[in-house]
Amino acid sequence: MTTTQRAAVRLSRVTRLFDGLAAVSQVSLEIAGGETVWLRGWNGSGKTTLLRLIATAISPTFGGGSVLGFDLQTERSAIRARTDLLSHETRLYGDLTAAENLRFACSLYDLDARLAGPALERVGLDEVAAVRAGSFSQGMRQRLALARCLMRVPALILLDEPYAALDVDARVVVDELLITAQAGGQTVVVASHEAPPGHLIDREVTMDGGRVITPTMVAP
Amino acid sequence: MSLRVAQAIVAKDLRTEVRSRSAVSTVLPFAATMLLAFGFALGPDRLLLARTAPALLWLAALFASVELCHRSYQHEAANDALEGLLLSPVDKGAVYLGKAAAAFVQLIALLVVTAGIVIVLFGLPVGPAPVLLLLTAVLGIAGLSTLGSLLGLLAVRSRTRQAALPVLVLPLVSPVIIAATKATAGLTHGATAGIGGWLGLLVAFDAAFLAAGYIVFGHLLED
Repeated sequence: MTTTQRAAVRLSRVTRLFDGLAAVSQVSLEIAGGETVWLRGWNGSGKTTLLRLIATAISPTFGGGSVLGFDLQTERSAIRARTDLLSHETRLYGDLTAAENLRFACSLYDLDARLAGPALERVGLDEVAAVRAGSFSQGMRQRLALARCLMRVPALILLDEPYAALDVDARVVVDELLITAQAGGQTVVVASHEAPPGHLIDREVTMDGGRVITPTMVAP
Repeated sequence: MSLRVAQAIVAKDLRTEVRSRSAVSTVLPFAATMLLAFGFALGPDRLLLARTAPALLWLAALFASVELCHRSYQHEAANDALEGLLLSPVDKGAVYLGKAAAAFVQLIALLVVTAGIVIVLFGLPVGPAPVLLLLTAVLGIAGLSTLGSLLGLLAVRSRTRQAALPVLVLPLVSPVIIAATKATAGLTHGATAGIGGWLGLLVAFDAAFLAAGYIVFGHLLED
């Protein structure tokens, strides 16, 4: 990370409580624009909560910050327009087909519906475009969620355990997403206890007990 | 953009209902059974049957609205699709309008079928003012769908989920059910005096629910 790069994520002493318990505690973190960061830690270390805070799915109980230059609390809509959070909950509709799910996402994000076809092809789901997502395996659903992300080209991509439930072919799709994001200057945060390929990662940030404990730099 | 979002929500909800048939498979059997049970309980007195029919019709519509709105948000809660709506950069009021419009279309369809059963079983006359009767149906269903679509979101986000929806809906929707029942009874039996008042009440509640839903929905959707 160089000092000339504008911070894509800047958190200052962010804490999130659930029923009085801190899932994320006093986290201060800065991620540069275009950086790919591996957020690592055990289950329950606060990775998912931190991603959800950055994505504005939840609000900080204390603290604040900015994402892509927009305030975390007051400019949520601007952040949401430029961010995509991919988690194990794929946010798909089981009664809609793969293509219909993507076209619905196009309506929400003001995208051309014709992007759905190429996106499905890219994740290897073009042959099941007319099949309902409810009959898909978890791995296929993950791929479909990836296709949704590929259509949008958001400035910030937040991946929560992206390799879970994926077969080897689908893992390649995730890696390709990381490569494309790097080439396109997109910022990526990968929360995973499984290491992404080292050459695709710029930096590791380790979490434990809701705190960031080692914001280490990866050797260039 | 907002209109396009609302249209997309309507299309998605209707497509989901056509494919899952959840409302048809639960609401219609319930309505038919309830009407049959009341028919037998009230006996062969055609006059009594016709007098009670409007209330039974709107009770069936009320049950249908609670069940339908609950299922609509269950679909959203599955796979956390609701969070997808939250994180999309759209006017959340447009999402609400889409949900309410989809519920309206489905409830109107269910009301038509239920009304058919009531007309056949209870001998409910259409009356001298079918246009006003249609207007009553539209306004009554609008009240049920606008309120149900707002409170369905509250219910799905509460810990008690399904149990919360009737508790929230029933007290608030009572004026709509009373006004719709009174207007339907008056219109079907030719006693049109005072109908304007009941229809005015329906318009007032519909407008209040719609405005409240449009304004509040986004805030309820947020964490």
